[in-house]
Amino acid sequence: MSIVLSNVNKIYQSGEVNVHALKEASIEIPNKKIVAILGPSGSGKSTLLNVIGGIDRHDSGSVQVDDHQLDKMKDKDLTEYRRHSLGFIFQQYNLIPTLTVEENVEVGRQLSQNPLDMKEILEKVGMWDKKDKFPHQLSGGEQQRVAIARALIKNPRVLLCDEPTGALDEETGKNILKLLQFVNETYGTTVCIITHNNGIGEMAHKVIRMKSGEITEHFYNEAPVDPEKVNWV
Amino acid sequence: MILRKSILRHIKEKKFQYFGVIVLLLISIMLFVSMSMAISTLDTRNQQFKESYHQEDFHFIVSESIHQDQLSTWEQNFEIDLEKRSYTDVDYKSEDTTLRVFSLTEDINKPYISEGDLPNKQGEIAVSPPFAKAHDISVGDTVEVNNQNLRVTGFMYLPDYIYILERVSDLVNDPKSFGLAITGEDTLTNLSSRSVSQVIGQGNSEEEVASFKDHVVDNYSLLRWMNADENPRIEFVESEIESSEAVITTLPLFILVLSVMMVLMILKRQLEMQRKEIGTLMALGYRKKELMRHYLSHAGVIGIIGSILGLLAGAGLSIPITNLYSEYYNLPSISYFDWDMMVLVIGFIVPNVVLLIMTYFVIRKPLKQSPLDLLSPKDVSKGKKSMLERLPFFKKGSFISRFRLRLLVRKKTRAVYIFIGVMFSTILLIFGFVTYNSMDDIVETTYKKIFTYDYGVYYNKLQQGDLEEGASPFTNAEIQVQQLNDKEDISIDQKVSIYGFEPGTDQIQLLNDEEHLLNDKAESGFVVSQPLASVLGLELGDELTIGNAYNDKTITKEVKGVANVYIGFSVYFQLNEVNSFLGYPEGVYTAKWTNVEPTESEQILYVENKKDAIENFESTSQLTRYSVMGIAGFAFLIGVIVLTLITNLIVEENSPSISLLKVMGYKDNEISKMVLNVFTPIVLFSYVVSVPIAYYSIDGMMTSLVEQTGFSLPVNLSWFMIVLGFVIIMVTYFVSLWISKRKLKNVSLQEALKKQQD
Ligand SMILES: Nc1ncnc2c1ncn2[C@@H]1O[C@H](COP(=O)(O)OP(=O)(O)OP(=O)(O)O)[C@@H](O)[C@H]1O
Ligand SMILES: [Mg+2]
Repeated sequence: MSIVLSNVNKIYQSGEVNVHALKEASIEIPNKKIVAILGPSGSGKSTLLNVIGGIDRHDSGSVQVDDHQLDKMKDKDLTEYRRHSLGFIFQQYNLIPTLTVEENVEVGRQLSQNPLDMKEILEKVGMWDKKDKFPHQLSGGEQQRVAIARALIKNPRVLLCDEPTGALDEETGKNILKLLQFVNETYGTTVCIITHNNGIGEMAHKVIRMKSGEITEHFYNEAPVDPEKVNWV
Repeated sequence: MILRKSILRHIKEKKFQYFGVIVLLLISIMLFVSMSMAISTLDTRNQQFKESYHQEDFHFIVSESIHQDQLSTWEQNFEIDLEKRSYTDVDYKSEDTTLRVFSLTEDINKPYISEGDLPNKQGEIAVSPPFAKAHDISVGDTVEVNNQNLRVTGFMYLPDYIYILERVSDLVNDPKSFGLAITGEDTLTNLSSRSVSQVIGQGNSEEEVASFKDHVVDNYSLLRWMNADENPRIEFVESEIESSEAVITTLPLFILVLSVMMVLMILKRQLEMQRKEIGTLMALGYRKKELMRHYLSHAGVIGIIGSILGLLAGAGLSIPITNLYSEYYNLPSISYFDWDMMVLVIGFIVPNVVLLIMTYFVIRKPLKQSPLDLLSPKDVSKGKKSMLERLPFFKKGSFISRFRLRLLVRKKTRAVYIFIGVMFSTILLIFGFVTYNSMDDIVETTYKKIFTYDYGVYYNKLQQGDLEEGASPFTNAEIQVQQLNDKEDISIDQKVSIYGFEPGTDQIQLLNDEEHLLNDKAESGFVVSQPLASVLGLELGDELTIGNAYNDKTITKEVKGVANVYIGFSVYFQLNEVNSFLGYPEGVYTAKWTNVEPTESEQILYVENKKDAIENFESTSQLTRYSVMGIAGFAFLIGVIVLTLITNLIVEENSPSISLLKVMGYKDNEISKMVLNVFTPIVLFSYVVSVPIAYYSIDGMMTSLVEQTGFSLPVNLSWFMIVLGFVIIMVTYFVSLWISKRKLKNVSLQEALKKQQD
């Protein structure tokens, strides 16, 4: 699945101030690759991801996903696009508080026609022994891992991850990164990772840098490193 | 769908709110279903009894004896069914107690045996259950009637004596002093030689019956003819069921509407709290239809649980209620559940459908928003200031008072609900007080202050001459109201009587609302009873024209007073003019009021014993009293639930601010003052407004019911009741505050931080 953005603009109006969250952003997310989006807070990373994920609409420019243009799609089609092609990992974990770990992951599994194995995924994120706990009984990092499992189990073609390791220590963080790499290698899933952590850029195939809504730099890594060797900042 | 699991867990987590809402729904549906089902079962019992036991359409008595062959000829000529029946009144144990013994019939007015068997041998009888109960008679007992020993074979109901009255003109009956029995023709003849023979009949159409009546009138000397629709023993129950239906079903309906509104409010709130969840699911790719179904099932679960439990409880409760009413109206327990479709529809389908439709609209709103909007922590609209907040006084005052004012303005709907909840409880509370009190008032004013006599003695001939010391003569007759001022087409369903009396008497003291004696006013004009005044809408100074059944004379007089006689439709006027109006000679009277128990038995038609009348009234009014108190009690409970739910909701909604205030160092008491006590003025205001509303609506309701019941309830609101009502409402309010304060104490300090993080 290839995603191409050309001249995408997104302006938020809050009161009298206009915030240019995306400014003439043009970029390609290559198919079956890991892409890292780096940039300071407020630079528009989440906005970019939301536009790609079809949960936010941009004001001008075009977003092409395979043969479809997202800006021309109706809400209903966007829902189907998310349902069948995407996995979302939110900056806030957004688990359903009244469901257990396993049930929360089940919420994702049910949407998929070729889901992965529940036990395997929960073991991979290290949550199998806590599968019957409720979100409020988990730490922030654990909740994040459940949210990741919920996205992964769908076996989506594109995984959009907003700060997946933000709340995690180096060891668990690296385990998650390994997991994302594993998914990318095994299933050919395109993975977009937003991060503050410049080190994570070292393991990506492509790195995008943003500042004040603009894409300031993007390049391919000649030799992506193993997540284990990433410089954790 | 896995999401389904979250519904029950969610309900469990917010158990207080959901429990409250379900109980609310349950109670209101239970009340509605039990009351409506009881009434409709009662109606069915009445109808079935009428049909299956062939209730008469008419009966008549002629002075000639009629042969069986004659009946057969009539049956053929007029296409009606006729049957002869004899009855006699005999004393039971003492002279005060009368047992009316009927001969058995085969086709018309067939007795329903509720226990035991029909009498089929010489010396056997069956008696009516109320009489048996009053005299401790069981099936198999031997009773002595007119010096003969008779064996009681069973208990029975007669279709033409559903409402047991000794005389057609009576209002109530005391089962201690009058009862019914049936027996074989032989036993009856043995029992008394003075039996009356009547013909009872059923016709297919009114015209046939009318033409038959003409025939009888032309060829026989008719002593009495009575059609079923003018027979109070038959008619009373029917009209009573009809009139209770109105009161008994509207009140619970009112409660039901309030409950559904509460359920919606809670659901709406719950949905607002779940914005994020909805946003997440949408972002994950759940379709709107799926989400709609999921969130609708929240409402569905509440609706179904509440209404099914309510329906079951209501059906169960309807059995004792039906039996209570049945006993009161003397209807046999022919049927139990009458699944009236309307009851099912209103009690089950309507609340659920309304709930689902309204919830649909509530859910549609967030589902229309983009997932991103839903995921963003704050609802943008909450950041806006309302119009009211721009007013200058908002900028003045301390932080606390501004905070409170803002809360009040922002939570307008909550304030409205509190207002309605308090109003609702107040109206029903006042309703309960007034009804309870007015029953006592009737006895106190009508029977004790106004009717100072002990016995009303009615003669069967005109009387003349002096009475014993202290007794007071009067003439009593039935009249027709013909004209009021210029209005001519006036009709009252009930019997109106005139009392021609000597205004100087001590035996009756006509008092008005201000407790002024009106006796003198009856010298020159009419003094009327309360029920008559309210049915006709009489005002002082109105010109009332009345006629009578004996001649063509009419009198027109000014209405000079309304006396606090709450029972009966009566006109009081001076004796001499009444006599001449009726065409009686001067100085006669037909009855007397006295304090001495009458001993002479000749010429006396009947004696009205005031003590018995009071007892009768009290026993019959018990039922109304308990029904009203029951409903008021439930309504009150609902008031508590509603207030508690709302204050609870307010605490929950404000929990971020509450925890923030706690972090800042405010004490629980200070916070509860800021968050909860804001609504105290609303409660006070609502009470002040509700009292007059309650007063006027009860007054209006009583007026509309007076024509059916024949007595108007004095709607007197004393300061004591107003204060007591106020105390009860305030206690309710503070109890609900106290419950909610505990919730407020439990709001954790981390809450603020958690919400910030979101
Ligand atoms: N709903 C909104 N209304 C107004 N402004 C918004 C809205 N959402 C985002 N913005 C603004 O758009 C800009 C980009 O926001 P975005 O969330 O994309 O930043 P980000 O790079 O993800 O930052 P962070 O690393 O802190 O998550 C910010 O300046 C932000 O204030
Ligand atoms: Mg972000």
